[in-house]
Amino acid sequence: MLTYTLRKLLMLIPMLLVITFLIYVGLELTPGDAVSYMVGPDALANMSQEKLNELREALGLNDPFIVRYLRWLGRALRGDFGYSLTSGVPIKDIVFSRLPATLELSVAALLFSTLLGSILGMASALKKGSIMDVSLTVAGMIGVSIPQFFFALVSILIFSFKLGWLPSGGRTMPGYTTFLDRLPHLILPALVLGITMTAGVMRYSRSSMLDALSKDYIKTARSKGLPEWRVNLLHGFRVALTPVVVLVGFRLPMLIGGSVVVEQIFQWPGIGKEFVAAVRGQNLPLVMMIALFTVTAVLVASFLVDLITALLDPRIRLE
Amino acid sequence: MDRLKMLEKEGLLKSRQGSRAVGKFLQNKLAVLGLMVFAVILLASVFAPLITKYDPAMIDLRSRLSPPSWQHLFGTDKLGRDVFARVLYGGRISILVGFGGALGAALVGVSLGTYAGYKGGWLDRILLRVSEIFMAFPQIILVLLLVSILGQSLWNLLVIFTITGWGSVYRMTRSQMLSIREEEYVQALKAFGLSDALIAYKHMLPNALGPIMVNLTLSTAMFILEETALSFLGLGVPLHIPTWGNILNAAQDLTILQEAWWIWVPVGIVISAFVLSINFIGDGLRDAVDPTQQG
Amino acid sequence: MVYVDTILTVDNLHINFYTNNRCNEAVRGVSFQLKKGRTLCLVGESGCGKSVTASSIMRLLPPLSRIEEGRIIYHSEQGDIHLHELAANGPEIRSIRGAEIAMIFQDPMTALNPVYTVGFQIREAFLYHTKMAKAAMQQKAIELLRSMRIPAPEQRVNEYIHQYSGGMRQRAMIAMAMSCNPKILIADEPTTALDVTVQAQIFDLMNDLQKKHNAAILLITHDMGVVAELAHDVVVMYMGVAVENGPVEEVLTKPAHPYTSALLKSIPVLGQSRSKKLEPIRGSTPDPYNRPQGCQFRPRCDFATEKCLQEPEACSVGENHTVKCWHWEKVLANA
Repeated sequence: MLTYTLRKLLMLIPMLLVITFLIYVGLELTPGDAVSYMVGPDALANMSQEKLNELREALGLNDPFIVRYLRWLGRALRGDFGYSLTSGVPIKDIVFSRLPATLELSVAALLFSTLLGSILGMASALKKGSIMDVSLTVAGMIGVSIPQFFFALVSILIFSFKLGWLPSGGRTMPGYTTFLDRLPHLILPALVLGITMTAGVMRYSRSSMLDALSKDYIKTARSKGLPEWRVNLLHGFRVALTPVVVLVGFRLPMLIGGSVVVEQIFQWPGIGKEFVAAVRGQNLPLVMMIALFTVTAVLVASFLVDLITALLDPRIRLE
Repeated sequence: MDRLKMLEKEGLLKSRQGSRAVGKFLQNKLAVLGLMVFAVILLASVFAPLITKYDPAMIDLRSRLSPPSWQHLFGTDKLGRDVFARVLYGGRISILVGFGGALGAALVGVSLGTYAGYKGGWLDRILLRVSEIFMAFPQIILVLLLVSILGQSLWNLLVIFTITGWGSVYRMTRSQMLSIREEEYVQALKAFGLSDALIAYKHMLPNALGPIMVNLTLSTAMFILEETALSFLGLGVPLHIPTWGNILNAAQDLTILQEAWWIWVPVGIVISAFVLSINFIGDGLRDAVDPTQQG
Repeated sequence: MVYVDTILTVDNLHINFYTNNRCNEAVRGVSFQLKKGRTLCLVGESGCGKSVTASSIMRLLPPLSRIEEGRIIYHSEQGDIHLHELAANGPEIRSIRGAEIAMIFQDPMTALNPVYTVGFQIREAFLYHTKMAKAAMQQKAIELLRSMRIPAPEQRVNEYIHQYSGGMRQRAMIAMAMSCNPKILIADEPTTALDVTVQAQIFDLMNDLQKKHNAAILLITHDMGVVAELAHDVVVMYMGVAVENGPVEEVLTKPAHPYTSALLKSIPVLGQSRSKKLEPIRGSTPDPYNRPQGCQFRPRCDFATEKCLQEPEACSVGENHTVKCWHWEKVLANA
């Protein structure tokens, strides 16, 4: 298990290095002065050309490229990602202040889609070929074919404007303190985000379950006189679950990026909305850093997912 | 079962003749339905000038925001443009971008994957790592990142879709080639002294075309969805060109969302139907070319 | 054997498969009687329907297949149970599975669940057939493993199947099958996946168990050597038909069906003189969807005549020895 972990780590680190390098190249190529996102904008405004040149030398902007990259990487590792071009706020603060909202939305959507998707998928596999199975499969196809934003618009029109049940956007209102207060705001975006994912999870858990049910040990379990629920749940579902967990694990970090559209429509103050605003405002340093942040999250999460899979599967765990 | 038993007794069930894949595809009702819907929407877009007399860009301020009528099937938008005409003409661009992006990604992915999968070695290892890096980004983040670097235009979008999509095609082609590489005829060709490129592209690639076609179909659907999402955000195809996403962009306006449903609901349904039909076709193709699902 | 009586009767069994939109008559008329304390071998080449027959007894046939005709009767201590009439996976058949009739499969690596310990899977069998406490179950599982000569059973019981060696896996499988002292043990090619030396150990073990518990064993195999070694009775199958049925000495020394006779000539026998040539059976097994008319072996048979276009009936050759061939007398005379 230890060697397995180390081996995975050894694959993770070089990838991160290459990605940070590419991002840095992107930053360097960005039009505009590199000083502008390294120094707070107020300080920048009061600076003379001479001072600026001194600062460049002091900041090492005239050093060779690779040295600058390493210095930048060192700062990034300590949490200093520079400043946003438009607001002058440190990028680190922006990301971390937006992260909770995005995580809240993602986790809600993930829980909803995983529960619903895996149960429907497994049920569909157990009744393979039945009317329920066929209609769920078609429903799943429809689910992945409707554009997420169209689905969001329709749900806003129906649930917010026509029925007036749920708010059409935002995360909170003045005076809201507890999570329960905010819950109505969460429902629609989480639902919309979750529906598309449910289709994917459903499809995946169906095939995973079918695979598990075709194994010899299912027949063995039946030959011991076990009741069907135990055969299906303990021997089928339990084995089929591992790949589904892997899928869901991969989904979580992807969601940090994947919720971009939903956050925008529902005016959800998360990283995705910030990202769209940055792209629209040509705020490249922020765009780059959010991208770097999400890709790091994806890589770290998939590393963790690998470890969890190994823990769930004794064949790997005990190696 | 009883019906089958009877038929078998009477010797009516013969082993199927002709191409198994084609037969299997045509047996799949959803795939055939998908093919029909696909054809209708595609042809309607291609022959848009024959179907509607309106110019999608023609502004008519006298009939702004008029609801659907015989004159304007899907009504008109804020500037009095005919929405039906915009949906038809918009389909041209949206389908072009979706298919073009998928084709570009497939060209790059397949040509690299075929050679690297066959040769293996350092080239393959490097490309594999590079594709991993591209695939570690959430798709929409990478697309938006590239949009902000390259800027917004139709051609840039095609380039961006190619850049974001080639990785998965590469990996799929490569794994196909890896299994074909083990077949004896490849060994025989090598023994004849044929060049690597000739073996890889002329003799091995045709055997991997089935899954590649499936991938091409499904990624067309994916890219159409992406184009519409980007344009909806105002970051895809420039707004003055009508595309499905740009039409829907109008619905960001809350009054239009509430009062003028005809501007955005029909086009949303057309997009969904078109993507759904491609997905049905792709699914049908997958079942048809998958040798593990005989029968 | 002092006391011999029948524990399982299979009578004129027909099973069809309805996969791929076709109907395959996988089993078309198989009859035999399994007796207490004796081993019956179902022998035939792959695809002849022997495994299907075995699965149907436990009602473990896959979906899209069904018993069309015939009877499977289990003569339990409480009276006859018509297995073929029970609902598949219903409570009646479940109370028999594992407790009265148990089964072991060809490849223990795939037949045991990789994510549970061996002990867990043995305990599962107790769960629905006994009223033991959990600690007692664990103790019993350890004892079972020990009786299967698995070293350090206290430790092994908590290990996973991939940590076992090939022979140990099959012994764990047998331990699981024997856990509730079943009256019938069905073994579907239990040693095909094992080395020859390990094979002998497994068969030894099965013999011991049979003597100890007076269990009946239904052994499915394609190996005539195994038949000669272990069987008391033998049923030879070809293309879904039980072509010959009788005590092992009779069938092996006086084969009355041309297929049995050809099969025996086609395999090498230890100690046989080198000068004796092996004779492969000519032709090849027909396509199950395009079966010959009448006797299934007709196209490959040296004795075939016009009469063979009709399906042969079972003829009695000797006591308990029957054969489905119109020309069995000629076959016997020819041998």
